[in-house]
Amino acid sequence: MKHYHDISSRGNNMSLFGNIDIFTLGLYAALVLIGLLSITSASYDSEASNIFSMSHNYMKQLMWIGISSVAAVVILLLERRYFHMFAYPAYVLGILMLLACLAVGREVNGAKAWFEFGGIRVQPVEFVKIATALTMARVMSAYSFNIKRVSDLAKIVAVLFVPLAIIILQNDTGSGLVLGAFLFVMYREGLTKYLYFPAIFTVALFISSFIFTPEAIFITLLILFSGYTLLKTGALLGHVRLLAAMFAAMLILTVATPLSGYQSIMIVCSITAVVLAVMAIKTRTLMLLWPLLMYVYAMLFVPTCDFLFTKLEPHQQNRILTFVGLKSDPRGIDYNVIQSKIAIGSGNLFGKGYLQGTQIRYDYVPEKHTDFIFCTVGEEWGFFGTLVVISLYVALIFRLMRMGERIGETFGRVYCYSVAAILLFHVWVNVGMTIGLMPVMGIPLPLMSYGGSSLVAFTILIMIAIRLDASTTDDNIYAL
Amino acid sequence: MTRFDRGYQRFLHLRLVVLLAAVVILGRLFYVQLIDDRYDDMATANIIRRPEVEFPMRGEVLDRNGEYLVRSRVCYDVMVVTANIPKEGFDTLRLAQILSMDINKLRSQIKKARKAPRAPFLVTGYLSQEAKLVFDEGHFDGFYTRFRTAREYPRKIGGNLLGYVSEVTAEQVKKWEYYEAGDYIGVGGVESAYESELRGEKGVSYRIYDTHGALKGSYFDGALDVLPVKGSQLVSTIDGRLQEFAEELMVGKVGAVVALEPSTGEILVMVSSPTYNPDLMVGRERNNNYAKMLHDQRNPQFNRAVKAKYPPGSTFKLVQGLIGLQEGVLRPRDMHPCSEGYSYGSRKMKCHAHRSPVDLRDAVATSCNAYFCYVFKDIITNPKYGAIREGVKVWNEYVYSFGFGRKLGSDFYGEGTGFVPTPEFYDRKYGRWNYGSVLSCAIGQGEMGCTPLQMANLAAIVANRGYYYIPHIIKGIEGRDSLDARFYERQYTMVDSIHYVPIVEGMWRSVNVWGTSGGARLDGWDVCGKTGTAQNPNGKDHSTFLSFAPKDNPKIAISVYVEHGGFGSAIAVPIASLIEELYLTDTIKRPQLVEQVLNMKPNYSHYDKMQKKYDAARAAKK
Repeated sequence: MKHYHDISSRGNNMSLFGNIDIFTLGLYAALVLIGLLSITSASYDSEASNIFSMSHNYMKQLMWIGISSVAAVVILLLERRYFHMFAYPAYVLGILMLLACLAVGREVNGAKAWFEFGGIRVQPVEFVKIATALTMARVMSAYSFNIKRVSDLAKIVAVLFVPLAIIILQNDTGSGLVLGAFLFVMYREGLTKYLYFPAIFTVALFISSFIFTPEAIFITLLILFSGYTLLKTGALLGHVRLLAAMFAAMLILTVATPLSGYQSIMIVCSITAVVLAVMAIKTRTLMLLWPLLMYVYAMLFVPTCDFLFTKLEPHQQNRILTFVGLKSDPRGIDYNVIQSKIAIGSGNLFGKGYLQGTQIRYDYVPEKHTDFIFCTVGEEWGFFGTLVVISLYVALIFRLMRMGERIGETFGRVYCYSVAAILLFHVWVNVGMTIGLMPVMGIPLPLMSYGGSSLVAFTILIMIAIRLDASTTDDNIYAL
Repeated sequence: MTRFDRGYQRFLHLRLVVLLAAVVILGRLFYVQLIDDRYDDMATANIIRRPEVEFPMRGEVLDRNGEYLVRSRVCYDVMVVTANIPKEGFDTLRLAQILSMDINKLRSQIKKARKAPRAPFLVTGYLSQEAKLVFDEGHFDGFYTRFRTAREYPRKIGGNLLGYVSEVTAEQVKKWEYYEAGDYIGVGGVESAYESELRGEKGVSYRIYDTHGALKGSYFDGALDVLPVKGSQLVSTIDGRLQEFAEELMVGKVGAVVALEPSTGEILVMVSSPTYNPDLMVGRERNNNYAKMLHDQRNPQFNRAVKAKYPPGSTFKLVQGLIGLQEGVLRPRDMHPCSEGYSYGSRKMKCHAHRSPVDLRDAVATSCNAYFCYVFKDIITNPKYGAIREGVKVWNEYVYSFGFGRKLGSDFYGEGTGFVPTPEFYDRKYGRWNYGSVLSCAIGQGEMGCTPLQMANLAAIVANRGYYYIPHIIKGIEGRDSLDARFYERQYTMVDSIHYVPIVEGMWRSVNVWGTSGGARLDGWDVCGKTGTAQNPNGKDHSTFLSFAPKDNPKIAISVYVEHGGFGSAIAVPIASLIEELYLTDTIKRPQLVEQVLNMKPNYSHYDKMQKKYDAARAAKK
């Protein structure tokens, strides 16, 4: 088998650096380099007198690349068991940092999520990502751990929930959502797929609850689920009759009584649901219960969602509304996305050329060297450039997953998958944001966005994975 | 772990998820970057914002001696796009100071501009170059300047002669494709008549701005830009010094002075009084100044020199005499009696006391009313035409040929026609009419109306002994070899050259021997002249004088008309004489006469009453 082959081919090679996955390191270096070039372009000023002055963002980023390299070497020199050993202390330290930040942190863009030391800002959540990944790996690699056991599942949910809660309190929900990426890992580790379908269903309901009226959602779902059960049971006539009866009842209620259309649908569907549930149990056609349950869930979720929305902060409401296209505010939130799309969209096939991007150079793209660094690639290198960058990310994520598989033990696998998941989340949300696929969240593009704490954190994150992969034969993992 | 291992299956699923995410993102990028090309235009629109109009320098106007009458100077409009004003506002007080504007005025302008926040709005104009630099340093986001030119008048003369420059009206924008809202256009006088020469061609430029509105350079290095073309320079026929002198002499008088060069038809002087300092029509106070003039009942904006309809008075006797000679009903030696007037029926056309009888020359010299009543009667009752209305028709044709009763075709828009009564006119007015009804025309009274330009043209015709060149105000246009051909053609009257001899003789005698124009004598220059004293219903007689000099190879022909100035010899003669003196001799040897003229203040109770009534009506309205 391929994977066994991989592992065996590494044999007992004792040279640490000889085992380092050069391909991953290469991908890492390529992305950092492209990031540096993009930052240079984004902050390029042809009139600047001293191009090597430390006041330039690219020089600062270069310094951070240096610091990251040192960190990388240190990580690669560490013995593998330390990562296992330090997982919990790091996690506790991370939680404390988050709490400290909540107390004495600096507020940026409404989120109290930053420390500031002499002009250098550090976001503890970057560190928490690493600590959480390690902790998840350690918890899930415990000998007795079984994800299918509720108590064990509760453990990892708790590991994720504590930092998430604090991050939400910091008003930095966007960064907090990254913890959701661990669902990716949990799937690999055998979490039942029946948890994913409701999750996807919930997200879909959430988004459509803003775009469509509840009536439209319910009727659509009714038809969808009927179709599903029809496929499963084949009872065509009964279905048609039932649907016809329901629609007739809704129509009569709406027209003949003072009830609104919405109320009529709720009443008819509730009664039908109860009746169908009773029938399903009686006739032991339990497969009917699934869609029924989800339908009831939808009927409860949509109004709740509307209600909860009113509880959100105005800026969060606005972001959601602009994202689903219900609100257009070209000078406000929409402005960022419109300008970002203009920059990327005007890149066409091969872009305007390095240092030639007008939208970038003339400041039309906000946050152009941090969160919107991808615009530089899009505008100056065109679709060709974005294709290359996305491919590099996909290759890196694939490689990390491959590494996780070939490590052959749970700690390393969970960790590698965690890194892959965090990267996937960041790339998806960040790039999605620049092209209007995702709402605007303050999430940097890994390795490319300007900013020291993000670069160092992702470097450590990836280097630990490389380090873990480099010593698959190290027997001392469980020595502690 | 095998291929069928659960974990491996899930590895494959998750790979699929990653791949799917990548495909969605790349699909979206493919659409945004390659399919949807709206973004290209939007990117261009971002940095260019709009093609910017580059206003050309308006052409200058020189006088006949190469001296500037009108110059253009650089100035700037201050514009605002209120949508680009930062939310936190700006230092209103400082901006008001830089623009030297009242802060409340600035606030109200911005309030107005906010009604259309994306549209450029003119905050104020006429920002000097120095103030513009200070303004630029202030970096007021949302505000920007626009290059303009403003008119400047070194001699401050010729207000209603030169016209002024104003923003185009909505109708003009609709009518002519060239103009857009905010453009300037010449109004009145030379500015209007030569608008298409003076305005030049607008250019367009595409400039790159960053998101803060700061200029970053030219789009495509300016390859798409079109440079504005400066307006042509015009050379006027006006003699600046003479014009200034004439305007000075006319201060306090209502009327007009027109002087022509008979050999070319070039207008040397054209004064319409009261005139105004053309600088008043430039700058921020211009609307107020304009309103003031608008409410002035003496109407300084009205170019009397080409538009007024004045009774020519006795100066018209020259025309009568010439027609009589051509028609053969008058010979120079013919004597007519004058008993202080001319009686017809029970009525009498009065005349002043002079010796009687007189021949044509002396009739011209003394301006005898009776003599020309005989002449006019002989013309229109000439048995060869049968009826009096036929006679009047013939007379009409002659008069038209002198340029009366019609536009001369000068280069002035809105040139007046004057008025020459026709048989049809008398039909309408009197129904039945006879010689007595039209007699007042004999001496240029009654319904006769002439523009001062037409009268000056008459002086030129007599000076030329029978022809004229169409009077014009511009003699040269930069980049053009010649003017319109009509300005180079001799316009002959219907009276033969020979008949002018006794008339000229009479005019000469009037000045130099014995007559009403003695005040116009200029030693060594053989001045010829004819006074006029025109009765009018509004007050004292109008004073007028027609003259040319010298008698042979005349260099200047002039008409002076002073409303309510009394006898022609009283005001019009000294004014004309001084202008001739300055033009012919280049000096003024009679400073005391200048002083005298300056002190002559005709009584304009008629205008004063109108003004009072008008002001009262305005006050009542308010």
